[in-house]
Amino acid sequence: MTELVFRKAEEKDIPRLVELNIRLKRLNEEFDPLFKTRDDIAETSKKYFAEAIKSPNSVVIVAENSGRVVGFLKADIVERLFYHPKIEGKIVEFYLLPEYRRKKHGAELLDYAVKMLKDRVEIITAEFPSLNEIAVEFYTRLGFRGIVSIYARES
Amino acid sequence: MSDEHGKLAVKSAPYYGGKLEIVPKIPVKSLEDFSVWYTPGVAAVSKAISENRELSFEYTWRWNTIAVVTNGSRVLGLGDIGPEAALPVMEGKSLIFKFLGGVDAFPICLNVKDPQKFVEVVKSLEPGLGGINLEDISSPDCFYILDRLRQQMSIPVWHDDQLGTAAATTAALINALKLTNRKLNKVSIVLYGAGAANIATARLLEKAGADITKMILVDTKGILHSEREDMDELMLKHPWKYELALKTNRAKLSGQLPDALEGADVLIAASTPGPDRIKKDWIQRMVQNPVVFLLANPVPEMWPWEAKEAGAAVVATGRSDFPNQVNNSLVFPAVFRGALDVKARAITDTMALRAAQALAEYVSDEKLHPDHIIPTMDEWEVYIHVAASVAEQARDENVARNPLNYDEEFVRAKKIIQRSRKLLMSLMDQHFIKPLPKVD
Repeated sequence: MTELVFRKAEEKDIPRLVELNIRLKRLNEEFDPLFKTRDDIAETSKKYFAEAIKSPNSVVIVAENSGRVVGFLKADIVERLFYHPKIEGKIVEFYLLPEYRRKKHGAELLDYAVKMLKDRVEIITAEFPSLNEIAVEFYTRLGFRGIVSIYARES
Repeated sequence: MSDEHGKLAVKSAPYYGGKLEIVPKIPVKSLEDFSVWYTPGVAAVSKAISENRELSFEYTWRWNTIAVVTNGSRVLGLGDIGPEAALPVMEGKSLIFKFLGGVDAFPICLNVKDPQKFVEVVKSLEPGLGGINLEDISSPDCFYILDRLRQQMSIPVWHDDQLGTAAATTAALINALKLTNRKLNKVSIVLYGAGAANIATARLLEKAGADITKMILVDTKGILHSEREDMDELMLKHPWKYELALKTNRAKLSGQLPDALEGADVLIAASTPGPDRIKKDWIQRMVQNPVVFLLANPVPEMWPWEAKEAGAAVVATGRSDFPNQVNNSLVFPAVFRGALDVKARAITDTMALRAAQALAEYVSDEKLHPDHIIPTMDEWEVYIHVAASVAEQARDENVARNPLNYDEEFVRAKKIIQRSRKLLMSLMDQHFIKPLPKVD
């Protein structure tokens, strides 16, 4: 079975991160028209990852197969102003190419991220489109539960 | 389709009022006989069945009766023309079932588009039927419907646009490879078109031993591979194509059909009507003496002689007026004949594969020729051979309620199919069936 290598993303990974992020957002688009991707998604993604990689409050991890990036995870560290536990590691992006799914690589990537965040955060959360049942199943299986709902309508 | 066929069909449709009717098969000499066939006598039969429901396969028409079920969402090449417009096609299918397989088939045209609802409706028909033939349902709903019904029903369920085409194609390929001295597990196969037919063919060829990692599917967006941009969309909307994208094309080749054909041994095109969809110089990119199937109807993706001129060693099409017609009608009557006779609980993929192998075997080594790789419909004994092979396979897989071996089913199928043909002849001889109307 293929072994994936996980490591912190570097600047050289940005083009590939942009590519995978576009795939991720296009996947989200399938779940709800309110996730329609913007035309400037490539430029925005580029800036987004350039900042995240430098930021002390973000963690970007890539999954590699034979030196090629095949997935990534981005988490932000935020303070919950009114609740305990206080410091939250929030997984905001998570993507693996199709051929690496259903082989426990997703759980490995998550595990790696959790280990990295462990000393800094007290609670791990993940956000994704409500209708993404694959994500619901994935996180539930790994011991997560829903704690927040976001409802939307076009104003 | 020629204009003449269409003209005659339109004239005949109202002339005969469709193509089928229900005719009794028990003697009725006086009205008193109804006391046996109907109440009160029939109650004893019902009581027996209520005590042992399996008897419904022997005490009623269930042993030989199937429904040809559609919602008219993809009829022939005509698209979503609705269930009423699908009815003449379903009648025609039922006619072929009876004439070539001795199977009593009747159309059920459902006003149901939602695939889940469709599954529920068809499932509820089980107690009165020996089998289900799904027909002309749009892709990808047809995959969901077939998979679900196969899981949930205890009678054979078959979707001819998938399994029938796949079995006929596999049969033709087995013989084409034999002629060109190739082994199925070694060849590289390009499938052009990723509709019901080719997706089912890819799955069946894998079962037959083809190396799926070397197979390449090409659809309207080009070569399918595990990193194509629409993969996530496919995962949600077309998981069957998604699965094939993950399993096929290990080299992750991308591009269009000409790129896929580079060095390929076999092309199986089941895409959209041609001609001129496939160019001669694309065929020239294949290995020497390639095998080329051009299955679009009514016009193949390129004319068969063009494929030959480009170097193809064996060419098959879906048309009866060219050599090597890859024709579902060679498969479904016989598969159901065999499955019904053993009261099969299912028609498995391996039974479909066995049908394909039997169909291929029927072409003897002496007869095997680049222009004859698959039997024709007028070799009627082929149906008996295929039925007997399918029955035996059902027995081997323990899906037969009434296990029969090859010879037993051969005799039985022959009797039933012969009777069916004679019956129709005699109805014509006695003018219960009128001669064809004249078309001006």
